[in-house]
Amino acid sequence: MEEYDVPSAASILASVKEQEARFERLTRALEEERRNVSLQLERGSLPSDRLVGGTTGGSKQPLAWQQMVMQEQSPSNQTSLAMMQEPQEVVEETVTIEEDPGTPTSHVSVVTSDDGTTRRTETKDNVTNMKVTKMVKTVTTRTVRQVPLGPDGLPLPEGSSPLGSYTDSIDRRYMKNGERFITPQATSTLTRSYNNYSDSYNDTPDSQFRHYALHDGYGDVPDNYGSLSRGVNYRPYRPYMPTGGYRPENSYTLPIRKDDYGHVAQPQVPMGSSTVDLNRSQPERFQPEPYGLEDDRRSLGPDDEEPYDLEPDYSTANRRTLPGRTIREPLRNGPRMRGYEDPIEAELIDERHPYIHGMYPAPLAQPERGSLASLDRMGGRRSPSIDSIRKDPRWRDPDLPEVIAMLGHPIDPVKSNAAAYLQHLCYENDKIKKDVRQLKGIPVLVGLLDHPKAEVHRKACGALRNISYGKDHDNKVAIKSCDGIPALIRLLRKTSDMEVRELITGTLWNLSSYEPLKMVIINHGLQTMTNEVIIPHSGWEQEPNEDSKPRDAEWTTVFKNTSGCLRNVSSDGAEARRRLRECEGLVDALLHALQSAVGKKDMDNKSVENCVCIMRNLSYHVHKEVPGAEKFLDPSALQGPGSAGTQRKKNDDAGCFGGKKAKEEWFNQGRKNGEHDKNYDTLDLPKRTEPTKGFELLYQPEVVRLYLSLLTESQNYNTLEAAAGALQNLSAGQWTWSNYIRATVRKEKGLPILVELLRSDSDKVVRAVAIALRNLSIDRRNKDLIGSYAMRDLVSNLPSGQQRPAKNLEEDTVVAILNTIHEIITDSSENARSLITAQAIDKLVAINRTSQSARETKAASHVLQTVWSYKDLRNGLTKDGWNKTHFQPIAAGTPKGSKSCKPGYDDTTLPLMEKNQDGYSTIDQRDKDSKYKSSDGSSDLQEREPLKNDTNRKHYIRSNRPTVSLVDACDVKPQPVDSWV
Amino acid sequence: MSFIPGQPVSAVVQRIEIHKLYEGDNLILGFSIGGGIDQDPTQNPFSEDKTDKGIYVTRVSKGGPAEVAGLRLGDKIMQVNGWDMTMVTHDQARKKLTKKNEDVVRLLVTRKSLEETVRQSMMQH
Repeated sequence: MEEYDVPSAASILASVKEQEARFERLTRALEEERRNVSLQLERGSLPSDRLVGGTTGGSKQPLAWQQMVMQEQSPSNQTSLAMMQEPQEVVEETVTIEEDPGTPTSHVSVVTSDDGTTRRTETKDNVTNMKVTKMVKTVTTRTVRQVPLGPDGLPLPEGSSPLGSYTDSIDRRYMKNGERFITPQATSTLTRSYNNYSDSYNDTPDSQFRHYALHDGYGDVPDNYGSLSRGVNYRPYRPYMPTGGYRPENSYTLPIRKDDYGHVAQPQVPMGSSTVDLNRSQPERFQPEPYGLEDDRRSLGPDDEEPYDLEPDYSTANRRTLPGRTIREPLRNGPRMRGYEDPIEAELIDERHPYIHGMYPAPLAQPERGSLASLDRMGGRRSPSIDSIRKDPRWRDPDLPEVIAMLGHPIDPVKSNAAAYLQHLCYENDKIKKDVRQLKGIPVLVGLLDHPKAEVHRKACGALRNISYGKDHDNKVAIKSCDGIPALIRLLRKTSDMEVRELITGTLWNLSSYEPLKMVIINHGLQTMTNEVIIPHSGWEQEPNEDSKPRDAEWTTVFKNTSGCLRNVSSDGAEARRRLRECEGLVDALLHALQSAVGKKDMDNKSVENCVCIMRNLSYHVHKEVPGAEKFLDPSALQGPGSAGTQRKKNDDAGCFGGKKAKEEWFNQGRKNGEHDKNYDTLDLPKRTEPTKGFELLYQPEVVRLYLSLLTESQNYNTLEAAAGALQNLSAGQWTWSNYIRATVRKEKGLPILVELLRSDSDKVVRAVAIALRNLSIDRRNKDLIGSYAMRDLVSNLPSGQQRPAKNLEEDTVVAILNTIHEIITDSSENARSLITAQAIDKLVAINRTSQSARETKAASHVLQTVWSYKDLRNGLTKDGWNKTHFQPIAAGTPKGSKSCKPGYDDTTLPLMEKNQDGYSTIDQRDKDSKYKSSDGSSDLQEREPLKNDTNRKHYIRSNRPTVSLVDACDVKPQPVDSWV
Repeated sequence: MSFIPGQPVSAVVQRIEIHKLYEGDNLILGFSIGGGIDQDPTQNPFSEDKTDKGIYVTRVSKGGPAEVAGLRLGDKIMQVNGWDMTMVTHDQARKKLTKKNEDVVRLLVTRKSLEETVRQSMMQH
């Protein structure tokens, strides 16, 4: 985080100093004012204040103080604003690939949360001040503006402040309401903080009273000033003085607080730079960066691509980046911002008193104020400017128990502000999350989900989202065990507020990353999420209106979150898959969304990735799990692989080249080469009287084209991997549909597309594709084609000897490739021959002899044994300098069945699943992926360079290139095979 | 004509100039093509080398402009108006041939029967 600050740090510092000077002047003026006012106030308002005073009184003062500080720190303001805004989005990723029956597949990915946070750019001179500073920042924006407004004619900070633009947006909002209200609110929270936890509330009634009195006395206009003055003068005293002496004691309290509460302040840490913060405020785009890996996941979509670093300018840049959004929107995203706005807008009118109440006793109870106060705090915290701290060391933030207690406050704004503050505190802070849990804060937050006021349940939901994010599953469990999941689902059904829906689904996404919660989510929320989010956003209509053309999917955040959640839960085993498949409308909607993505060529976003992953997971074991699957079991499966026929297919394909003679020629040739395949036509597709729907759509041959389009067009490695995985799953089983799928992939010219992807830089893509090719080669015709055209690419992915290949593929990938090769050369001496010509023997022998991996060694050994088993090839091999010993297992204990190749063969059904899945979840890969995204082509070349030593290979590579361009050039639609011109 | 990708290719070629014909609103050449790097070359009945992904003439309409110009079934199109056709997708080839603003298409084609005639070496990029 800090890195981001660097560029601007110097300028910030300068501006801070300038502000400080100004501030001092202001302070003096204010102090005078304050004295006057305070005297008046105290006299006038004491009685009423006392009632409430205990808690709130202290707070008011702080507000004033904050304002002052704010001016000083205008530079910091920027940061603080950002902080406030930050929304948290939690993104989780789950791994969905489920090829292996045994593997649970889903990996919980990281959940990301975004928070805007404060900056630390300011000087850190006073340790003690730190906390205070934060508070100040938030206030700052407001203050600045207010000051100019004030009758006193205080200097306007704006002109000088770099914040300019950003201030504007924020200020305006504040300004409306802000002038009057803000100050008081801030105070309330502040007050508390000053007091020691236990002591503060009860002990210092007097001091509190005074504070209140002050507020009252000020009246609207005076507030600003008054607050300022208060802040300066009163606060220090009150907090410290339990009894009533204000001033003398101020000094003490602050230091103490710091020590005690230091941890509370921590959340601010995450916000290193103003830029970052701003980014965060716009949750989608920026979130990824601050969080690193986790973020990436979340933001794989288009948002990610946006440059985070580009904008030097804190205030404006980020906002600008968001094209669609108005200034306001970004702010809204951040929970805090909302907090500010909302209270102000909604509840401005009678803030002061109520506000006071808000704190605890609240006889006067005006909710709004309370909320403001809390908001202020939040803001303050986020923007911890050290400077401010120095100036007024006495501020302190409410501590955690206080905040949690506030969740139960009778006044709604207090609740919502407390929740918003909690969200802030929890941001990226596992310790706080844990503390919240242990302090029983989670059930309270869950309870607030059912609160009728939007403000309250929204903030509670935001806090829950942050809490649910992260690796600490106890937090997730805590949410579940107080029935948080049904509560979230209820709210999802109830609310139409997009923002709340985003929060809900984000929370669910987070929760779904924890294995034991997946089924709970399915039980409570599957149909609701499908009906409320997936179907409407997918554009799918159950009964299409003939008048209107089909709608496109909308890649909203809600859809992204929900699909992410479903992606996670879809990996929870057979039962979960069954539930999802049978969930009405889900598969239809997902397919529609994907088709819409393909149609619009908008396939790189996270939502698409999620959808494809769900589809892949649901495609897993369809041939075993789908109701009625027995009926489609392929009797020929028993005869072994290569069941799908080619004849019909040939007819279709032959259309490519016109003349009949040619066709026949071709036929004959085919007969020569391959054995007779079963006729494609013999696979009887079940007759349908009704259109296919629901889970049946998963394995209809029509989906092949969809996946191939994704494989051709998408730049997102996760999507590529998932699409390849889907084909892999669909082509795995021995049933009628998988026969169709295998043949359809060929007919749709999918094999070259897959082979092309063997050159991907992404390990997991290569692996998924390799396994898919293996499954596809169960079809005899496919096997021949793959043997002819994929061999070199397969071999080029193998490591040569001890040195890993350019791509440095993982062990699992290497094993997958070896198994695929094995499958391809089994029963095909022709393919074995192409293996040899692809210079594979070198590599295989090297792997067999030197690999550190037992699995690689074993797999390579199987391949070698199979090669040697073709007697007609031995002669050539011997000429090349190989002998029998090279083709025999090195280790004494190696598999016995080597000759029969059975060991390798057995794997065929399995290979798809388990190991591959591990790769999916890896965060590192993601990073890599994103890096490569932009420069696919170039990186590809670089990686391959080393291979060029060998001339043959060079040619080979060259020859392959066109294929690459091929993919690019390809239309989604089937290529014209024979065109009249 | 077989070739090794990346290596210079030598082929006997013939220049053929086809004047497009209006058929309704469409300018036609009167032949059809198959092949391309995005097509399965093994399906190509005309190629010697089954890895050849070149563009081949698959049909020639009787009496059409192409036939008149001397184009024959099974010709491999090497160039169209100077554009290389040996490393293009099917659709790219089609587009090159069907540009609306061009009335004349000059092809460079090769066929077995030409092998003893002119020699011209071409680079496959």
